[in-house]
Amino acid sequence: MFGKLYKWIDSRTGIQESLEEALYENIPGGSKWRYVSGSMLVFAFMTQAITGIFLWMNYSPGSQNAWASVYYITYNLEGGSLLRGIHHVMAQAMVCLLPIHILQVVIEKAYVKPREFNWWLGLVLMKITLALGLTGYLLPWDQKGYWATKVATELAALPPVIGGYLQKIVVGGQEYGHFTLTRFFALHAGVLPGLLVGFLVLHLAMFRKHGITSHSSEKRADQMFWPMQVLKDGIACALLFALVVYVAIIHPAELGPPAEPTEPYGAARPEWYFLFLFQMLKYFDGSMGWNNEFVGAIVFPAVLFGFMFLMPFIARIKIGHALNVLIIALTVGGAGYLTYEAVQEDNYNLNNPDDIDSAAYKKAAKFHAEVKRADTEFRLIDELVKDYGIPLEGPLALQQKDPYTMGLRLFRRQCASCHAYNATGENEYLAIAGPEIPATAEGPMGAPDLYGFGSPDWIKGLLSTGENGIEGAKYFGNTSHSEGEMIAHVRDTMWAEAESDEAKQNLVKMIEDVAWALSAEARLPYLDYAGNQDKIQAGIGHLNDDVLGCVGCHNYKENEFGYVFTLDNYASSEWLTTMIADPNQIYSEDLGTSNDRMPAFHSDATKLLTEDEIELLVRFLRQDRTLLGTASPEVNPLVDDASEQENTEEAAESTEENSEEDSDSEASESTDESSDEADEATDESSEEDSQESDAATR
Amino acid sequence: MSDTTNSSGGESRRGFFGSFSAWLAALVGAVLGVGPVCVGLYSFIMDPLREKTRPRKSRAEGSADANGFYRVASSDEISTDKPRRFTIVADKLDAWNFIENQALGAVYLQKNENGDISCFHTTCPHAGCSVAYEQDSNAYHCPCHNSSFKLDGSKLDVGGSTNPSPRPLDKLDVKVDDDNNVYIRYVDYYTGKHDKIEK
Ligand code: FES
Repeated sequence: MFGKLYKWIDSRTGIQESLEEALYENIPGGSKWRYVSGSMLVFAFMTQAITGIFLWMNYSPGSQNAWASVYYITYNLEGGSLLRGIHHVMAQAMVCLLPIHILQVVIEKAYVKPREFNWWLGLVLMKITLALGLTGYLLPWDQKGYWATKVATELAALPPVIGGYLQKIVVGGQEYGHFTLTRFFALHAGVLPGLLVGFLVLHLAMFRKHGITSHSSEKRADQMFWPMQVLKDGIACALLFALVVYVAIIHPAELGPPAEPTEPYGAARPEWYFLFLFQMLKYFDGSMGWNNEFVGAIVFPAVLFGFMFLMPFIARIKIGHALNVLIIALTVGGAGYLTYEAVQEDNYNLNNPDDIDSAAYKKAAKFHAEVKRADTEFRLIDELVKDYGIPLEGPLALQQKDPYTMGLRLFRRQCASCHAYNATGENEYLAIAGPEIPATAEGPMGAPDLYGFGSPDWIKGLLSTGENGIEGAKYFGNTSHSEGEMIAHVRDTMWAEAESDEAKQNLVKMIEDVAWALSAEARLPYLDYAGNQDKIQAGIGHLNDDVLGCVGCHNYKENEFGYVFTLDNYASSEWLTTMIADPNQIYSEDLGTSNDRMPAFHSDATKLLTEDEIELLVRFLRQDRTLLGTASPEVNPLVDDASEQENTEEAAESTEENSEEDSDSEASESTDESSDEADEATDESSEEDSQESDAATR
Repeated sequence: MSDTTNSSGGESRRGFFGSFSAWLAALVGAVLGVGPVCVGLYSFIMDPLREKTRPRKSRAEGSADANGFYRVASSDEISTDKPRRFTIVADKLDAWNFIENQALGAVYLQKNENGDISCFHTTCPHAGCSVAYEQDSNAYHCPCHNSSFKLDGSKLDVGGSTNPSPRPLDKLDVKVDDDNNVYIRYVDYYTGKHDKIEK
């Protein structure tokens, strides 16, 4: 049955003849395992073409969509992680196979007369493969690919005269953007694979013309390509595919945080197989006059490539072949060494944990810190995408409204030179180290650690003594407050007067209550005020009765005899906003409790931060992740307070809700009803309710 | 030509698949050819068929309620003398994008003398063009292949030309709450079929 069908097809197509033509190629000395590298490269390319086309079906170039679509492929698309993983790993396998294939050809002397053209075709294929790797690295449009590729394209500007034009042509204009992606994508998915197929056909045709180069001395019978060599090739390719799938599952292709032209990424490295070029550039630092970047990035590789091009001719002179082998071996070895060196440099801090003060350590530590920062930013954007989806404006629009992403950036830039943010527990990934303390510094340094500011724990620490209390680095550090009245009161009055164990226990209990009462002023969204009503009420009582001596200096509710800043609304949004914008509105200069050196960030005189940035920072400090433009949840810490005009149930409910949900409908109902469609894109707060009125529009 | 192939074919075919390794080689080759394609085809076929999840914090009121009803209008906005077109606005998930307040589609709403509201899908049941109410003829017309419908949705033959629509205009369920909010259960139906089948 099958035979008959085959005959029918064959008589009309001549398939038998073509197959025989293709597969009955004589191999002098018979099939060998070492002949498989070429077939493996072809198979690798075929896999890339196939997986690439399926990735294409889900990918969208353009600076708003590229990252978003790759995110979708990696985390949402059915089977997408494996698909992208195979494409990603196979690309690297291909780059590993290339030097093996080339070394084989050189060692077996398969590049000399009459195979010059095939050697050159091979060199072109190598260039195309590397270009595919380079262009593909940019397409996910994440920080890593963006900044690494930016370096590569900056190098295009190096050649004199034409450099500037060249770079603009490659990048698609002055700036990185849509056109960079559309161009790179067209190159990566169209032009380069097309060229590769064309040159591969020629390469194979030449190979068929000249046959396999065989130097085997052992007398083995010749064999046809079919079936034994095909089988060996097939098994090798199958093993390769299995390995690639395995690696793709174990180490899925990563995606970094989305590319952001204004957020430089300090750990930008090219894909590992370009690391040797990256590393080599460090040696072309102009130290000897001639060895500038241009020579390193363009002239030197070009000379090397030119040499490879001429190798078939060099082989004609007496020691030519030996020279060729030597230079190729040196090149491969040198590239290998440079790659190793680059990796070592980046891991210097891990390998030399004691050499803390060296420049190499600091540089490597900085690299790792940047990698960690990128991981944190990715984790944050990942959560944002899961919570809100990606808006049409792209992932950056989401990040820019996120108090955590922006809070971290702003804190790092504006606050971390004095304050630390030593987040712990589930928030540990948000931690920011404070100022570096010089070995010569006497005593603690820096301003208060702001993690958990306004929480009962934070306030309890402030009212305690010792290393973890008010005397430690976590609070007043070595600001002028470390010798101020507050510390004197806590240490020399409050705690000094509690002599007996019982008195101490009593004090601890009172501090706990007062801490909750003060924290209630902060109305922090992540705290369970409803469940701690007893403490809050007791604490309010202590404060009003001035048991701890707080209201001797501070104002609090009806106690208005204090001369230092009021405790009302302490650490609330408004309080923090004022504190950051213009701290001198909180401190009272006249009374000796002056601001030490906290600058104003948004006053009449300075505008270091915009109002939006301050709001983001305030929400970050309050661990309130409500997106900018959406009203923060109402927190009512006093469940039973009649003056708040709220009944118990509602308040308890709202506390619960608020701790989970960002936007509650109550908050948005008060916003502008008459928003028109044009406003919607920009005015987040009115979006909530505009849906209803829009539904009625024709 | 075919003669020579036939006479020599049997022999060389035996030669071609004449050994175990030949069959094995063919098998391995076939698996390798199919492997990467299967990985890609799996995504290509399975992803569109998958139920998509909306973002965790997408607001419930931005889309339909549990029964698929969308609020489209207040009942005062609907007149008795002629149908009015209303847009269904909801939050839309489009691959990686989640877009708030997008137009999903449109419906025609009209009240009868008793105040009961009727609702028709604007998609023509013939092949999916968008029907429009025309004042002159006081009927719905499709611009594509001459389907027309009376105000009660039933088919109408205009001027002798035949109406290609396989069924009347698609009626949608309407719900009005105490605050005069009008809700529509907005669903799409397959076109070109005699029966209303939900997509
Ligand atoms: S689509 Fe309306 S008549 Fe054909």
